[in-house]
Amino acid sequence: MLWRIDPAGDEPLYAQLVAQVRLALAHGELSPGERLPAARELATSLELNMHTVLRAYQTLRDEGVLELRRGRGAVVAASAGGDLAAAERAAVEQAVAGLVVAARAARLSTETTTTLVKEAMSR
Amino acid sequence: MTATPPTGAPRPDTRAEAWRPRARRAMAWPTAVGALLALGAALVAWSWSDELPGEVASHWSGAGAPDGFLSPGAFVLVFVLVAVGLLTLFLAIGTRAGSAASTRRLAAGGSVWSGGFLAASLLSTLAPQRGLTDVSQVMIPGWWTAAALLVPLLPAVAVALLVPGDPAAPATAPVDPGAPRAALRDGERAVWLRRTAGGPGLAVGAGAILVTSVLAVAFETWAMLAIPVLLAGLFVAMFAFTVRVDATGLTVRSALGWPGTHVPADEVLRASVTEVSPFADFGGWGWRVGRGGRVGVVLRRGEALLVERTEGRSLVVTVHDAATGAALLNTLADRAR
Repeated sequence: MLWRIDPAGDEPLYAQLVAQVRLALAHGELSPGERLPAARELATSLELNMHTVLRAYQTLRDEGVLELRRGRGAVVAASAGGDLAAAERAAVEQAVAGLVVAARAARLSTETTTTLVKEAMSR
Repeated sequence: MTATPPTGAPRPDTRAEAWRPRARRAMAWPTAVGALLALGAALVAWSWSDELPGEVASHWSGAGAPDGFLSPGAFVLVFVLVAVGLLTLFLAIGTRAGSAASTRRLAAGGSVWSGGFLAASLLSTLAPQRGLTDVSQVMIPGWWTAAALLVPLLPAVAVALLVPGDPAAPATAPVDPGAPRAALRDGERAVWLRRTAGGPGLAVGAGAILVTSVLAVAFETWAMLAIPVLLAGLFVAMFAFTVRVDATGLTVRSALGWPGTHVPADEVLRASVTEVSPFADFGGWGWRVGRGGRVGVVLRRGEALLVERTEGRSLVVTVHDAATGAALLNTLADRAR
């Protein structure tokens, strides 16, 4: 998969990696059982400190998305929700597209929109 | 008047032929070494002609008695002709398709191995027949055959390692503006990582390992078990690769660490998606050399990443989602200019 890091972005670097794994799972680019790159390899290619990648992997493990095993590296957990049915995924993506249109029309910032989504999800 | 190409149009790489003298230099002495090994063995065999019977055993179908006989002169001639054929083949591969250092290394190693293998086979077949009058029951120990196959690998690998690698050849022209790009913000870093593994070649490998094992066991030539062991190592190395595109360029490396190759970002002329037909384009699966010296890491039919590189080189890797890798590589190659 494609990994990107924007050092000028607002989000911390490790959080950018966490978000990409979640997105890849939601889009079906990653599936349970799949192995993520070794932290050292990812860190070298993205010119990051290895601890940044490890922190991202540990965060994802704490969320139950990854399993970290000595010798096997980081593997997407069976319960990670990558087995989202295509129809379900399409429905969510369509709803998000609608939200984005509405938010843009209302000139809401990305931060405000995601805050609204988070609030709605925690209700 | 000199015609100047319109700015922005892809210019032909003026150094597309720069590898040819390099390939001739790289192939000259390994071909000589292979020829000397084969010729030396032929001369030694010739010096034995007084001690050899009028007809020597020249062929065995199994572990039993020989079933083919030739005069010593004809036998040596057959070996010399096979040596000429193999050395010509490797020389042709090295000098006509050796645009990449990996190809020159393979061809140079192949020349030395074939010379060594033929020399060892010739001498190990004739040596036990010296001073005999009846060769109808003559036997060659199984481990001699195994040694004739395996021992020449050592000088072959040494010679392959002595062949110089490709010198740095940064592109002078910009990356093809018509090639796809990835949307990266300024200062944003990116890496594309994929694994590519398995494919039909693995089944061929499993079959070859099974057949050579069964033959070695059936004929009780235990030394020949070294062949399936070597094949197993070869197939493990050839059928699982990681593909990485990052700021340094493209890296393709076997899961074992070897073989592998790296295309620096500043040598990329154009990355794109192509369709590969393993047999039509590369004659099979694995680490291959195709038409025009194109190097292929070919594990299956279909979608592949094609990277055109300076000095007439190109590389193809069968990998899924090649479009993402190609777009990112073009973008990172832009940055490396």
